Amino acid sequence: MKSIAIYGKGGIGKSTLASNIAAFLGTKGLKILLVGCDPKVDSAINIIGHRITPLLELMKIQSRPPSESFIFRKGEIHCVEIGGPEPGIGCAGRGLIVGINYLLENLNVKDFDFIIFDVPADIVCGGLAIVAKEGYAEGVLIVTSDEFTSLYAANNICRGLFSLKVPSCGIVYNKATSNGLKFVRKFAEKVELPIIGHVPRSDGFINAERMRTTLIEILPNSEVTNAIISLSLNLLKSDFRKIPKWLSMEEMEGIFSENS
Amino acid sequence: MSLIIHPRPSPIAAAMYMMRDLNVDVIVIHGPSGCCFGPARLLEKDGVKIFTTALSDREFIFGGERRLIEVLKKIDAIFNPKLIGVVGSCASMIIGENLKKAAEEAGVIEKALCCNIHSGYGDNTSGAIEVLKEASNIGLITKEEYERQKKLLEMASILERTRGTARQEYIGNYAGDNPDEVAREILKVLKEGGNIICVLNAKKETAFVYADIMLALAQTSVKFLANIDPNIGLPRIREYSKEILRELKEKGIEISLITGGLDEYPISGERAKEILLEERPDLAIIAGIPHAVAVEGKIRTIAVSAGTRASYNLKSIGYDFVINEENAHRASLGNRRIQKSILGESIRRILKE
Ligand SMILES: Nc1ncnc2c1ncn2[C@@H]1O[C@H](COP(=O)(O)OP(=O)(O)OP(=O)(O)O)[C@@H](O)[C@H]1O
Ligand SMILES: [Mg+2]
Repeated sequence: MKSIAIYGKGGIGKSTLASNIAAFLGTKGLKILLVGCDPKVDSAINIIGHRITPLLELMKIQSRPPSESFIFRKGEIHCVEIGGPEPGIGCAGRGLIVGINYLLENLNVKDFDFIIFDVPADIVCGGLAIVAKEGYAEGVLIVTSDEFTSLYAANNICRGLFSLKVPSCGIVYNKATSNGLKFVRKFAEKVELPIIGHVPRSDGFINAERMRTTLIEILPNSEVTNAIISLSLNLLKSDFRKIPKWLSMEEMEGIFSENS
Repeated sequence: MSLIIHPRPSPIAAAMYMMRDLNVDVIVIHGPSGCCFGPARLLEKDGVKIFTTALSDREFIFGGERRLIEVLKKIDAIFNPKLIGVVGSCASMIIGENLKKAAEEAGVIEKALCCNIHSGYGDNTSGAIEVLKEASNIGLITKEEYERQKKLLEMASILERTRGTARQEYIGNYAGDNPDEVAREILKVLKEGGNIICVLNAKKETAFVYADIMLALAQTSVKFLANIDPNIGLPRIREYSKEILRELKEKGIEISLITGGLDEYPISGERAKEILLEERPDLAIIAGIPHAVAVEGKIRTIAVSAGTRASYNLKSIGYDFVINEENAHRASLGNRRIQKSILGESIRRILKE
């Protein structure tokens, strides 16, 4: 069994990558579990084809819902959405703690070959950090583009992992462009993590989303699909785990200055 | 200030007691059902109806304002209270619940006294101050009364930090000296012709218990000072002073000097101290909040207070004898007559011997 948690700036492509990785590994006959941890419930939508009922929504009505009621399957891919409160009320962090604990009590993680936790944006509070903190995922996959704000968020995540002593399994360079690689590479070197995947920017993702499916299903022979395959195989094969370093603000600025 | 590692009184409880002093009919705790259970039971003994929204993980996650609205509506329909207190809890405050908005939606905002308080708010007096602030905002008390009480509560907190049970990282527990032996000591001094001053420096309703020591010493030469000014404080607190004065008068007891009101123990304590240092009695009995009367080491003292931690503290700062009136608070609630005290009963017993 292998497990990862995906962290990165809001909107950087965590859920998109999570569902495409799950979709690919599912075709390899592996038993996959995709756990959506975002209260907006959008991790599994492109696998199952519609919004699935989140666990916390069921727990609100019935304190111990049976696992059939919250696990949704497509072939070997099993999807669970934890869910959470409506925007602006309650506590999403507490929701995640309660939901994940219930999930892990009620299913045997050892039954799965690969588990992906799709986590909401940054680690903004203790509750949202639970997946990394409690060791539910063996490694954190950090998603970033070459934009400053995205690398800045990635650095913040490294800082969180550093202080929580949680290992990362590497960085994915998403929305990759031909001239942005040098920045991501510089960042990766400084935080001492490998770049384990480059997924180019592609409109295919948006088209796939409109059809409520994954890109690898609609563009099976594309460069982007190949990139996702290579990233997925890397994740499957590699045992790399390391607690990252993090950079000061000056060092972050340095990444984008020409002469450093 | 160093971290204090023994349990401390809760700002939520202080807020609820202050709401009681403002004569609310009911109090709703917007929190888990176990939150402030102890103080809630005591306040119920005092005639205030206490309710809880009984929040659980479900409300922590999805929000609990709906629940608060329902509870407020239900209470309003069943009990038709004139004034409703609403206090927060750690859980509801951390998730950002809006008490006033809920009171408005429940249609009770006109008679609601809402206090955004939780147990991690700091000194317990901060809960009382928050209630007073809101009470003055909604016109329940005057701005001047708010300022006066705020100052006293802040003084009380400083007193706790310098001489009370918040003065050290850890304070242990002491069951107090043997009350019969202390009573014998009092009577021995009187028999030898020594003079004794008994100071009542109590906080609010607890005076109903500590005043019993004066009743027990009625037929002796002991002189009395007491902070029971019937013209200071909220109407409810003035009532306490009036009742006690009436009962003392019935029993033929004269107070030599009124040192202040029942909510003024930090400053009435200072006044009592000045008088004690001037008159230099052979023994002083100080009941209520003895550490507000800083005469230890200068005058032989008997400190009478409630609780084993307070007793340990008083003994360790140097009061010669310490009596633990362990039930003072519980016994003082729910009645308006002077209640039997441990030391009072010991004095009566030894007097008979
Ligand atoms: N490589 C890419 N090229 C082009 N568009 C992309 C790429 N990756 C993701 N996107 C698009 O970016 C948008 C945001 O993606 P996604 O919802 O996966 O981000 P996220 O990190 O999960 O966001 P959130 O933090 O809100 O959960 C989507 O419309 C998605 O199609
Ligand atoms: Mg997402």
